[in-house]
Amino acid sequence: MAKKLKNYINGEWVDSASADVRDILNPATGELLSQVPMSTRDETNAAVEAAAKAYPEWRNTPPVARSRFLHRMIPLLEERFNELSQVQTREHGKTIDESRGESRRAIEMMETASGIPSLMQGNLLEDIASGIDEYSVNQPMGVFSCIAPFNFPLMVPLWFLPFAIACGNTFVVKSSPRTPMSQVELFKAFDEANLPPGVVNLVSGDVDSADALMTHPKMEGVTFVGSTPVARAVYKKCGDMGKRVIAQGGAKNYVVIMPDAMIDQAMVSLVASFYGNAGQRCLAASNLIVLGDDKFHREFVDKFTRMAQAIKVGNGLDESVQMGPLQNKASKERVVGYIEKGLAEGAKLTLDGRQVRIDPSLSPDCFLMPSVFENVSPDMTIAREEIFGPVASVLRAGSLDEAIDIIHANPYGNAASIFTQNGKAARRFQHDVVAGNVGVNIGIVAPMSFFPFGGRKDSFFGVVHGQGRDVIRFFTEPKVVITRWF
Amino acid sequence: MKLNTMAAVMTHVSKLETESAAYYEKLAGRFSGLAGLLEAWAKENRRFEKNIRQTYYGVITDTLESNYAFEGLDTDEFDVALTEPADEAQAKAAMRKVEAGIRGFYLKAAAMSEGLMADVPRVLKKIAGVRAERIEEL
Repeated sequence: MAKKLKNYINGEWVDSASADVRDILNPATGELLSQVPMSTRDETNAAVEAAAKAYPEWRNTPPVARSRFLHRMIPLLEERFNELSQVQTREHGKTIDESRGESRRAIEMMETASGIPSLMQGNLLEDIASGIDEYSVNQPMGVFSCIAPFNFPLMVPLWFLPFAIACGNTFVVKSSPRTPMSQVELFKAFDEANLPPGVVNLVSGDVDSADALMTHPKMEGVTFVGSTPVARAVYKKCGDMGKRVIAQGGAKNYVVIMPDAMIDQAMVSLVASFYGNAGQRCLAASNLIVLGDDKFHREFVDKFTRMAQAIKVGNGLDESVQMGPLQNKASKERVVGYIEKGLAEGAKLTLDGRQVRIDPSLSPDCFLMPSVFENVSPDMTIAREEIFGPVASVLRAGSLDEAIDIIHANPYGNAASIFTQNGKAARRFQHDVVAGNVGVNIGIVAPMSFFPFGGRKDSFFGVVHGQGRDVIRFFTEPKVVITRWF
Repeated sequence: MKLNTMAAVMTHVSKLETESAAYYEKLAGRFSGLAGLLEAWAKENRRFEKNIRQTYYGVITDTLESNYAFEGLDTDEFDVALTEPADEAQAKAAMRKVEAGIRGFYLKAAAMSEGLMADVPRVLKKIAGVRAERIEEL
């Protein structure tokens, strides 16, 4: 019988009483890995109450001491580096190197947040009037939470959690109901680091738990990463409840290939961007706009397609595998639906990923191979909507202006990249394109932990972004003090 | 064996260093005139393995692109046969062959990933340099 996952509340591992328990399957093999309860509202509320109770003492723990807890976490995560990575691959399907990359980014968040004694400092100006000084301090606020996505089950909550607790807040993570095991492994490390009870809490759950977090009166703010419709709903709900919110939504990321692009060098970066994580990444490229004459276009697209076709698909724990499965059967069906829509709307499927070729010992339920569509126009469904799978759509544009217009006509604005050797074109692109993350000869524009991470337009709902100094602002409230001594 | 991903390259690196270290330890027990050198090399090989693995884990986010960088890297091109020498002269020849094989593999892997990663090619080239010195020493 598979192990049932527990919640971590007030420094204790506790069983959920929920009758709604779901199976967590390895998408590559179909193996039952664990069972996850969908925690009740009461259980989620208990996590928030534990965090609220821990807050006063934690808030008064000096920043240097809070930072040392994070420093203590780093070697604990390094020791578990491979185990954590393997759990991600088993529950999500991504390749082992993709999981290791995610583990590394997770640790980087701890490293950056541990600089909190410098990061959360305020300002002081002497003599704003004669003998009067003014200063501002950044103070923590209370309890914050993260509603986690399935696609980066270890890393995404850490865009927020280490920064929140470093600032003196306490935190509740609601793990994804599809990939909850990575957070359990992370919280084992928190438990070993001996954080005071209640500072960090973990509940598994779905909509009820998320709603409990957004509506609890002691919850100061909510962070969310997921699809745009849900991000919009989270933003509205938190707004209604008077809470701070960072809601990161979906994406439709474009890559523009200029005729002077270094094709060979670009190709690896592009293939990694379109097909890495089986396309289930908010920074994954989805639409490829190729400029230039017919000869250049043909040469480029043929090369890209050949490389996509050569990608080895299989179990992510096999080190020769370059692309794993979709995370579950429903995800695969959704992507297949988009491929069918593309065909129905007249796009040409030059590489059909529905023809799955994998090791027969694996379960075919969640696998797709890379797909490439050509003759795609910007108004087609596959060019407009987020597919979140290993499908590339090739569009054409006559000029950089036209390419930028196409990008701007799309409602999303998470990432966009240009491949060129022309500095003027690159400068124009990075200046004009409305996207939160812009790449020049970079396929996956993933900001490091010390830079803000967030999109524009329908890819983001909120004011400040995750990570870096932005998120310090999110997790603190400035207080101004003006002093005069008689 | 053909390798394609960074993970596969790193597993092969681990194998090369740990197996060659064990081989040198075994030869040290047989050839007393080379024992000091072989024991030192074995120890150093284990350090190399750790050093490369830590470097790889440290820059693993860069390897998302390197998943596709090693197409055509074939371990069979580099002869690292761990033979059974009959005397010290043969042992030296065998050591030279092992060192040259590992060096060749590291240089090719470094060249293939140089445009995508900083630290891993650098450490591979550095250790390949040490191996060139070892060959010279023999």
